[in-house]
Order: sequence, then C-alpha cells, then structure tokens
Amino acid sequence: MIDAAYAAEGAEHGGGAAGGLPNPMHQFEIKRLIPFELFGFDASFTNSALFMLIAATLITLFTVYAMHSRALVPSRLQSVAELSYQFIANMVRDNVGTDGMKYFPFVFTLFMFVLTLNMLGMVPYSFTVTSHIIVTFALAAFIFLGVTLIGFWKHGAKFLKFFVPEGVPIVMLPLLVVIEVISYLTRPLSLSVRLFANMMAGHTMLKVFGAFVVALGFLGGWAPLAFMVAFTGLEILVAFLQAYVFAILTCIYLNDALHMHHH
Amino acid sequence: MAGAEKQSGREQNGRDAGSIRQRLDNLGEQLAEAKSRHAPVPGPEPQGQGAALGQALRLGIELVAGVAVGGFIGWWLDRFLGTAPFLMVVFLGLGAAAGIMNVVRTAKRMQADAQSVKDLPSVLDDDDD
Repeated sequence: MIDAAYAAEGAEHGGGAAGGLPNPMHQFEIKRLIPFELFGFDASFTNSALFMLIAATLITLFTVYAMHSRALVPSRLQSVAELSYQFIANMVRDNVGTDGMKYFPFVFTLFMFVLTLNMLGMVPYSFTVTSHIIVTFALAAFIFLGVTLIGFWKHGAKFLKFFVPEGVPIVMLPLLVVIEVISYLTRPLSLSVRLFANMMAGHTMLKVFGAFVVALGFLGGWAPLAFMVAFTGLEILVAFLQAYVFAILTCIYLNDALHMHHH
Repeated sequence: MAGAEKQSGREQNGRDAGSIRQRLDNLGEQLAEAKSRHAPVPGPEPQGQGAALGQALRLGIELVAGVAVGGFIGWWLDRFLGTAPFLMVVFLGLGAAAGIMNVVRTAKRMQADAQSVKDLPSVLDDDDD
C-alpha cells in the first residue's frame, strides 16, 4: 500500500497529497533511463548509474587534464590534483604505514569516487547516488571482503588470532571470541549506514525546508531560506567529511589486516 | 672610466642588495604580524556542534549495528538449525555487547584524535598550560 502511494505520488511528479507539500523522498527515486534485462535480472541503465558514470568521467578528466602539463611550478588545477594526492598519500602513510602504499590507488579511487558522488549530489536537480544504502553497502562489503582476504593472505590462519583478545582467562574466551567476531562483522554495516544516513538525512532536510520556503511564500519564506543557505554549507562539509571518514576507516581496516594491531 | 662606472655599479648593486634585504626583512615581519592576527584561535572544539553531532551519530550507528548484526546472525542460525527463538535472543545480547565494545573503541580513538589535535596548538604557540 505504501508502495502504491509512493508510485502514485511519483507519477504526479512529487506533487504530494500531504497538505500540498512536495514529497521530500521523491528525489531518491530510481528511474530507468535505458531499460535492459540480463539473464532475467533488471540491469537497466538508471539515473543512479548515469551519475556514477558522470563521477568516474569527471574524476578521470580532472586528474588527466590537471596533470597534463606536469609543470614544476604547478598551475591552480595541478595543485588541486597534487593536494588531493598528498592528502590521501599522507592518510595512507599515517594510518597504514609505508607498506600500505601498495593500496594507495584503491583508497585514492575510493575517496575521489565517494567525494565526487557526494558533491554531485549537492548540484540542484542532480541525483545523490550515495543516499542509497545498497550502493554504500556494496562499496563497504567490497572493502570488508577485500580487507579480510588481505588479512588471511598476509597472515594465513594466524589472522584468526585477531579475534582472540589478549590476557583473558580461558573460561571467558569463547564468549569474547564470539563478541569479537560479531564486532568485526558490524564493520560493513556501520561503514555503509554512516555514509548513507548522513547523505539521505541531509538531502531530505534540504527538500523539507525548500518546501517550507515555497509554502510560506514571499512574506514568511525568508527564515527557512536563510536556514537553507547555512544548511547547504553544512551539507557540503558533511559531503567532504563523510568521504574522508569512509577513506580513513578503509585505511584503519587495512592496517588491522596488515599489522593485526588491536585498535 | 669604464672601471669607475663598474665600481659605482657594484656599489649600486651592494646598496640595492642591502635595501632589498632590509625590505625583505620588513616584509617578513609584516607577514608574521598579519599571520598572527589572522591565525585561528585554538579553541577546545574547533569544528563546534556539527562535528559533535557527527561523532554522536557515529557512536549511535556503531551501537545499533552491533545489535542488528547480532540479531541477524541469531535469526539466520535459528532458521538453519530450527531452534527459534533461542539463538536469536542469545545473539541479540552478544550483538549488544559487540556494539558496546565498538562504541568504547571508537570513543577511545576519538579521544586520542582530540588529544593529538589539542596538543598541536600548545606546541605551536609555546605557552605552558
């Protein structure tokens, strides 16, 4: 029934039944741009896929074009590219160590991808890919599986020691090992929910207050408009911060897998 | 004549270099003064409420994720072994424990980060507090 209501609301283009205010969740709707089916699965090219493609293209163009001159004294664009390189390189070096620099390309790609998707979401009329938990969960699950595999590949069966806390009486051990394993398994969930919840909550809030501006009209709309301007600034900060947190947690997990330090 | 010109030219250069050095020093002083004027005041909470809210949300998610994952494992094992609902109850408890452990660890890391940030300005502006 809820689905039907959603579909109906979507059909009349966000014009909501709820007191004339537009539906703030309408912006998260997935639209099939090019319907396509693969082995019975719906593999359509959606607006989500379109924005991922835009992000990947933008990042590639940016890094390739910014570095094309390779000047000793960098131009502004080149310094932006160099700064982002340094930023992530320092992050990996500080959190994982120099032997973690092997994984720098992955962390850099991840950071730039999430950051660009978050920032693209701040453009009016665009679509925020990271506000869908399935996208962030896929990213987090990939990181989780990759990091776990790296741990086993580096340490073999000794990696299981990661789940055995030190200095614990043998009676308590089975209980604590189970708790440690559950704690390890929460990583992909908390990693994905953090990004998704921040992006979705912020964008919903922006839409709700945007609707207030229209509903209150010329006389009363200024207060929510002022709030929206401030909140947009905060949202840009959050977009950057969440990409940063996503990347730094990836580094911390990598460090755990490579060095088995206990947090 | 040419030598005299050279001589005076060298003198000129020397005087120029001296004045340039003096101007550079002046500029350096002015820059340092301007920098100290515009330097952000190192407060206890550099990013204010937004960052605090983010941290609170992080801890909340950490706690809920533990319970959710524990509950899911219990539910799945119950379905697999046909022992509903006992394992789910047990694993919800274990999940809550794991969640609390995660919260404590995250909070410890946050505290360590905050400590290192707090230590940095006191080294820079060299006052003993």
